[in-house]
Amino acid sequence: MKSPKQRFGVLEYLIFTALIAVIFCLCVCVGSVNIPLGKTLSVFQNALSSLVRQYLFHQPALSPAETVSSILLTVRFPRVLCVALTGASLSLAGAAMQGLLKNPLADGSTLGVSSGAALGAVTAIAFGIAFPSLPFAGTMVMAVLFAFLSLLIILGLALKLDRTLSSHTVILIGVIYSMFVSSLMSIVITFAADRVQQITFWTMGSLQGKGYKDALILFAALLLFGGMILLHARELNAFAVGEENARHVGVNVRRVKLVLLIAVSGLIGVCVSIGGTIGFVGLITPHLLRMLTGPDHRRLLPACLFGGAGFLMLSDLAARILLRPRELNIGIITSLAGAVMFVLIFYRTRRGRSC
Amino acid sequence: MKQSVKRTRTLAAILTAAMLWALCACGGDAGQNPAEGAPSSVSEQENGAGQTSSVTVTDMMGREVTLEEPATRVVALTASDCEILYAIGAGDTLVGRGTYCDYPAQVSEVPVVDSGSETNLEQILALEPQVLLMSTMSQTEEQAKQLEEAGVHVVISDAQDIEGVYTAIEMIGTLMGKQEEAAGVIQSMKDTFSQIQEKSSGDGSQTIYFEVSPLEWGLWAAGNNTFMNEIAEMMGLKNCFGDLDGWASVSEEQVLERNPDYILTITTYSGEGPLPEEEIMARPGWENVTAVKNGAILNLQNNELSRPAPRLAEGAKMLYDFVYGEE
Amino acid sequence: MLKVTDLSVRYGQKQVLDHLSFSVEEGQWLMVTGPNGAGKSTLINAVTRGVEYQGEIFLEGEDIRQKKPAELARCMAVLTQSHEIAYDFTVEEIVSLGRYAYSTGFLSRPGSQDQEAVREALALTGLYDQRNRSVLTLSGGELQRTFLAQVFAQNPKLLLLDEPTNHLDLIYQKQIFGLITDWLKKPGRAVISVIHDLSLAKAYGSLALLLHHGAAAAYGKTQDVLTPSYLNPVYGMDVARWMKEMLSQWEDKSV
Repeated sequence: MKSPKQRFGVLEYLIFTALIAVIFCLCVCVGSVNIPLGKTLSVFQNALSSLVRQYLFHQPALSPAETVSSILLTVRFPRVLCVALTGASLSLAGAAMQGLLKNPLADGSTLGVSSGAALGAVTAIAFGIAFPSLPFAGTMVMAVLFAFLSLLIILGLALKLDRTLSSHTVILIGVIYSMFVSSLMSIVITFAADRVQQITFWTMGSLQGKGYKDALILFAALLLFGGMILLHARELNAFAVGEENARHVGVNVRRVKLVLLIAVSGLIGVCVSIGGTIGFVGLITPHLLRMLTGPDHRRLLPACLFGGAGFLMLSDLAARILLRPRELNIGIITSLAGAVMFVLIFYRTRRGRSC
Repeated sequence: MKQSVKRTRTLAAILTAAMLWALCACGGDAGQNPAEGAPSSVSEQENGAGQTSSVTVTDMMGREVTLEEPATRVVALTASDCEILYAIGAGDTLVGRGTYCDYPAQVSEVPVVDSGSETNLEQILALEPQVLLMSTMSQTEEQAKQLEEAGVHVVISDAQDIEGVYTAIEMIGTLMGKQEEAAGVIQSMKDTFSQIQEKSSGDGSQTIYFEVSPLEWGLWAAGNNTFMNEIAEMMGLKNCFGDLDGWASVSEEQVLERNPDYILTITTYSGEGPLPEEEIMARPGWENVTAVKNGAILNLQNNELSRPAPRLAEGAKMLYDFVYGEE
Repeated sequence: MLKVTDLSVRYGQKQVLDHLSFSVEEGQWLMVTGPNGAGKSTLINAVTRGVEYQGEIFLEGEDIRQKKPAELARCMAVLTQSHEIAYDFTVEEIVSLGRYAYSTGFLSRPGSQDQEAVREALALTGLYDQRNRSVLTLSGGELQRTFLAQVFAQNPKLLLLDEPTNHLDLIYQKQIFGLITDWLKKPGRAVISVIHDLSLAKAYGSLALLLHHGAAAAYGKTQDVLTPSYLNPVYGMDVARWMKEMLSQWEDKSV
């Protein structure tokens, strides 16, 4: 038997990067509107040379003059970018929660953290909470805050009911919490009946109409919060074996847990405030990738960055082209896939325990 | 063995909870009903014995409803029925209105009852109406039946096209004993529409995009079988999403490619930030759309073109004036 | 090596540990014993800072409250009685976790010293050939040996055992106690174990602490503490007689 590697090696990075690059290109080249490949390439070539001109020779930027280039450069490209970053973030957050709670079913959507974040965003919209200087910081801050509070509530309740934090107690509490949040959401809606349309948006995610600014914010969040998670891969390994064991081998349990919970809330909150609740990404990708990389988070977490991005890009592609010219919510696609996966994981862990 | 029973039970509990959750999540969006297309006949019978006249109408679901005299106490759950009542001069008979009834302004003085999925029968009965006007959209048959048993006449409107709106106005006119007024309203609508049709020079080469939900909350367009589509045809404009049925979510890319000459948005201005038409003008990537280039974007935010009510004519006139210029 | 003075732990109104004082020196094996609910496991939790306590615990002359978790983990390691594994880590991955406290920096990689320690621990516990096996496929005894290897890789001065062989077959029980006895032979090491099997306590322990309702009923050399005069009132029965009776089953010539 070959000894498994401890780290995500250069080769793996290359393979995954190549794979993601292929998916990314596919998602940019294929969309609701058919654009011939040659045309797509020339548009990007022109855009690139225009960028070069702009930054190297300080010539004024040319705004895209054709519909095709608007579609590619201002609609499709930034959207795919946002989708990839959201997928990577949600998947990383899911993997972190699954490690931290030693629970393969944990995820923002199964625990109700995403719903909590959406409630935060909705509250901000309904009661007009905003920071004048930052355009959509209000919903974002509230989403992150509510995600963090949700995690604390769910874990606190779970700890009260079952000190071992057994997987099913936590999930059950997550489900109940989600129901609780959805009724709170209804109450908020009655206070802001004129904004029902905006509010229902948060319950079904979509990254339609997202631009470079959103991509930049997602990237910053991934860099900050995702970095926090990636730097705690060894601690997550210890938590995945058991919190008590983590303490015994010298993990500063309280500090690491706090850092990870903040990072997870940050990622989920930012993603929800931009794209609404996109369920189950954080459940499916870590689970599938674990079969490939094993449970060691030093390999699993980097793989999740790539895998999550790839999975969500493909889901978004499906959402864009399945019913064209109509468009599905990406959340519908991921929830469909996720619900099936949830049952499979549930079944596997059950069976695993009984033998 | 005991353990496996427990296990099954936990599983069952989790699944049940999950289903409930899923149900809650699904309950939010109500779909549009397909056109029933039930034509309704309206008749009135004189009672020879005295002054009182009984009224019989066949509502738009084909149900026959007989009142001993024209209604004087009415609850209307649907915004369009409310508007019709005021248009035919029967607004004073309204004793209760549904949540979304917001036109004309004086309707706000009428007590509100919950409508839609939260329809509350007790609230309605407490107002002691003779007639309840409702649409097929969100009330259920059981609710209608229960109200009938409690002695309230339920009359259902279900207009899917402009012809259906005439039928609804006529039906409500008869119900209220205001046939003449109703006929007047219908005639004035017909006049407006035929004027528009006559004067419009469009030959179907120019396109219009009806935006019913803005980009920020997911684009939705009005397609075929909508009032907006009917009015566009009337003006010789081509609905660029005429290939879709009803209101449908559409891809942003599709709007750009179909490159409409005009855009009509029905988004309500929230009171802060850019106006709906400004927001469309500022969308990145939309600068090459003809309507955006020419600033040909109209915002009708008071449901002029989405409700089966007399104001459809006003909305159509506004759109006509916008496209062809005021006289 | 470890000096505990006036240690008390309360859970709400309940006094779980009641003013305990004891100490363990290099080369000694302290057996903490007593009936169920006497506070044995809580004692381990207090010493590893898993619960809040009153009193003082000094490890090699330093207050353990002043130590960072990683520092503490380099001085003492814990082997608990059971492990529920959720993911299919390999044996080696579990054992490697024992080296966590030696490279806590964000970017530090396990050095050759760490690899050597892991290899040695695997070899010592006879798991080297199985190092790439998934821990989900191990038997209870193998799993416990894996965690024993983790504890060895941690290279502590003080080893804490919480009923380490409770659910194991006799052969594994013997194996694990043998491994720990060998481990203790090196200088600078000590063991504290919570155990309710009095025969094992007598056989392997050099010191004993008999707990009763959280308080020390007796403390001292094993042979002085595990005597009828202390045991019988605590357990409410004639312990020695019962043990002999059980043992006599095996004295039959037919065996």
